[in-house]
Amino acid sequence: MSRTDSSEKSTDGGTGDVFSFEASEEISTSQRYREFFYEAFYLPAREAWRDWRMKVGLIIIFGYVLMGLVAWVSSSEFGVLADVTLVEFPTSNQFGGFEYNNQGPFQSWDYPLGTDSTGRNIMAAIVHATPDMLKMTFAGGIYVVVVATVVGTVSGYKGGRVDSFLTTVSDIVMTIPGLPLVIVLATTIDPRNPYLVGPLLVIGWWAGLSRTIRSQVLSIREESYVEASRTMGISTPRIIQKDILPNLMPYIMVNFVMSARQVIFNGVGLYFLGVLAHGSYSDNWGVMMQFAYTHASALLIPDRSYQLLMPMAAIVGLSFGLILFSQGTDRLFNPRVRQRGTGSTKQEEDSDDEVTTTIT
Amino acid sequence: MNWFIKRIGQGVFTIFTVASLTFVLIRVMPGGPAQQMVADMRQRQPSLSTEQLNVMAAQRIGVDLNRPIHEAYIDYMLNLAGGSLGQSIQYHPETVADIIARSLPWTAFVMSISLLFVFILGIGLGAIMAYKEGSKFDVGSSIIAIFLSSVPYYVAGVVLIYVLALELSLFPLNGRYPKGVDPGFTLEFIGGALYHVILPAASFVITTWGGFALGMRGNSVQVLGQDYIRVAKLRGLADRRIALRYVGRNAILPMWTSFLIQVGFMFGASIILEEIFSYRGIGYYMFDSIDNRDYPLMMGTFLVITVCVVIAVLVADMTYGKLDPRVEAGGKDESY
Amino acid sequence: MSTHETTQTNSTNVPEVTDPILEIRDAEVYFEMDRGVSRVLDNVSVDIERGEVLGIVGESGSGKSMLASALLDAVVDPGVLSGQVTYRPGDGSAIDVLGLEKEELRQLRWEDISMVFQGAMSSFNPTMKVGGHFEETLEAHDYDIDEGMERARELLADLYLEPERVLDSFPHELSGGMQQRALIALSVVLEPNVLVMDEPTAALDLLMQRSILTLLEDLKEKYDLTLVFITHDLPLIAELADRLAVMYAFELVEIGTSDEILNDAAHPYTRSLLNATPNLDAPLSEMQAIEGAAPDPVNVPTGCSYHPRCPLSDEECVAEDPAFRPTFTESHQVACFHWQDSAEVIPFNIDRPEAHEVDDE
Repeated sequence: MSRTDSSEKSTDGGTGDVFSFEASEEISTSQRYREFFYEAFYLPAREAWRDWRMKVGLIIIFGYVLMGLVAWVSSSEFGVLADVTLVEFPTSNQFGGFEYNNQGPFQSWDYPLGTDSTGRNIMAAIVHATPDMLKMTFAGGIYVVVVATVVGTVSGYKGGRVDSFLTTVSDIVMTIPGLPLVIVLATTIDPRNPYLVGPLLVIGWWAGLSRTIRSQVLSIREESYVEASRTMGISTPRIIQKDILPNLMPYIMVNFVMSARQVIFNGVGLYFLGVLAHGSYSDNWGVMMQFAYTHASALLIPDRSYQLLMPMAAIVGLSFGLILFSQGTDRLFNPRVRQRGTGSTKQEEDSDDEVTTTIT
Repeated sequence: MNWFIKRIGQGVFTIFTVASLTFVLIRVMPGGPAQQMVADMRQRQPSLSTEQLNVMAAQRIGVDLNRPIHEAYIDYMLNLAGGSLGQSIQYHPETVADIIARSLPWTAFVMSISLLFVFILGIGLGAIMAYKEGSKFDVGSSIIAIFLSSVPYYVAGVVLIYVLALELSLFPLNGRYPKGVDPGFTLEFIGGALYHVILPAASFVITTWGGFALGMRGNSVQVLGQDYIRVAKLRGLADRRIALRYVGRNAILPMWTSFLIQVGFMFGASIILEEIFSYRGIGYYMFDSIDNRDYPLMMGTFLVITVCVVIAVLVADMTYGKLDPRVEAGGKDESY
Repeated sequence: MSTHETTQTNSTNVPEVTDPILEIRDAEVYFEMDRGVSRVLDNVSVDIERGEVLGIVGESGSGKSMLASALLDAVVDPGVLSGQVTYRPGDGSAIDVLGLEKEELRQLRWEDISMVFQGAMSSFNPTMKVGGHFEETLEAHDYDIDEGMERARELLADLYLEPERVLDSFPHELSGGMQQRALIALSVVLEPNVLVMDEPTAALDLLMQRSILTLLEDLKEKYDLTLVFITHDLPLIAELADRLAVMYAFELVEIGTSDEILNDAAHPYTRSLLNATPNLDAPLSEMQAIEGAAPDPVNVPTGCSYHPRCPLSDEECVAEDPAFRPTFTESHQVACFHWQDSAEVIPFNIDRPEAHEVDDE
């Protein structure tokens, strides 16, 4: 058939510039990183932003980050920030006597979400718990993604003994029941630092993602353009960075978000039950729930149920944002979804790439 | 066959790893449970020598501080292999094995009911959503599914207790079966047990079906776009047959493993949920043991939960190859 | 050549055939899209003779798959099909395919007109044995199962497959060539009169392509089939086909017997297509790609849609869409104003032994 056919193959974009290898060898490092950033982040982000779930999810997450910043600025002792207090740190009887205890929500601008049984401002407590929540969440997500990416790419790319060892290890880690392990470790280690608590809460979560990444690396590695890079003598780390990581970015993003959600679920749950030791009321939304549950008997006294509901709403809001975000990325995985409505009739079969982002 | 042996070996090794881990945590950790217990007892009975205290502690938690680590380790593992999980501290003289034996069936009961409903709701609604892709029903259900997935199961539990048990008094607040009913094969007991399981199971089902529905929806949409669906329609097959044998089968099979893997997740959830509902299953006792620093019970429950999950994963792996002809018994790409 | 009365009055001429089994008139398919209406089949009219092998040739994205779908009224969903497709079973009756009720259409498909899709790998349900596909098809059409399965075994054996082994296999356990042959057997198990094949050999190696073609020829004789064979591979089909129809930009541009097309191709596109085709006889240096790109269905050029790429085009081609006109014979028709000059401007890059000169006629 006529040569014009070959032009069809590159109409999907993305892989179009893979033929420019020879030239790219001389490109400076900074340009290389810029290129990597463009392919791995900018293009997917632009595509994903078209999805409403992604937009709403990002806006919600941004809202929480803003809340964290407000708390950080308010409690900071740093230079000029020491004098700035946007939301005052909640303390017992901060509004005066005990007549300010157990005040319901939406009554006063001083305490829009009400006060708890010792008169603390619930709104302020939620805000001041945010920085630690975010640190914990972020640390947990980073931990999962980094460990999984390293293990998965090394395992998939090296193959052989390294691969079977790493695969066996991740199989075992994956089978050990997550939350019971976390609870056992949390009671014996008793961590306090949010940067430590976060990773601990999702300690075995990397195993599932590393398997996905491994199988992706295996299939990508067979693809001709990676083969081409290898025969051209391009180094392994460079191949991983240039050809493999951009393809994995969507998986990594989704799993970052889903492990972040898991950190929130497990973390709040364990603070709520008192398994994780706590300092003060505004350390974690789970601690707030625990106070409401045990000290204020919010479950038994209907008038106080808001003390339980408010931190719950904060938790649900954040994880709703995270899940919306992860659902929004399915455009990036599924070319069929992306193409729908543009009327192109045939798609090369690629059924191995199927991805289901099951929420568990 | 080789592959089966390998998988079983891996399962056994996982249990071995966890058992060793529990030993390390109890015995080796500085200031760990064993040393702590000896210190506690010394305060109460200052007259006894360290040796004697160690012997007493060893009776309780199966870890003897008098002996060198490697010997203690071998003893501990041999005890476990013999099925002895030691004695509970707070439920003295009951053994850990006894406590687990009477609590595990209740957890299994809650789990099977929850899984059944998660499966029916998730698969059913997911398939309908895919068939009506883009409709109001699809968008609405997707939003509800996403929202419910962002509610932690224990939050759902607390809300259900508040609304249905306390405010409306429709369901019992806690417990496994009505007071004064003797366990046995009576209608009263089984009915009562079912009545008590509704809230704990519902807390789990409500927050979990959404994930499965979205997964099923995604799979079905993908299958519906396949050529073989179009060919099947042209061949004149009935819609029902296409929906079941073609779409349903091909969309559900990849979810099978993640469904059984869910068992591991549910054991975790049972710790928090059973505590909230005072439902005396294995999770309840695990939490109880943590609260009271009852290390033998804590490690015993952890180990038994691990064994259950290992079995569930093995079953998932082995049946998947049988159910889905595309996966050879080598199971080279199970979908987790 | 005897003349046969066509009942339709058409904007385009259609080369007449003596005993048509299928008559397609003004078939048109379009999709509504964000950036405009995408017309992927544009007023195609063609007759298919009972018992012939008609090859429909065009590059990918020329609308040939749409034409295949249109024959069974099976255009995928947002697409809208209009025009007329008449099926003549041979007993004197005429069936208006596009006007059939749902149940009638269900019966017509596979029982009278059957189809083989490109990519046999994706045409079978991956979780069902090949035998199951035969059984359920027979069952859905109320055929006798035992008798039908006997026929299936015979068909598979005719296609040089081991019937029991194939029927008892899952699709992924068969090689591409075996799947393709099994799919062909599946498509004729209900003894249809017409078999439409859309690129049935595209994914196979050359040797397998040839052997499947040979098998098809035998199958056609034995079961008295009319074959519509859609492909981008002109030399491949030329040996099998009695007649060839060439598609460009969602319309037919030339139709004639295989000899007429191969030796006297009159449309500039057909000639360039033949020159661009790899041929063992021709040195590689003589091969020429066609300049330019195939048109976008949303934005087809005015007039003759080939004019931007055609060395013969003038104002007339830009202004007006050429209708079909007979060339050397009545059976060989072309949609080109300047077909008489095409041989001179676009000479074949290999000597085809029986090639005519234009003024040879």
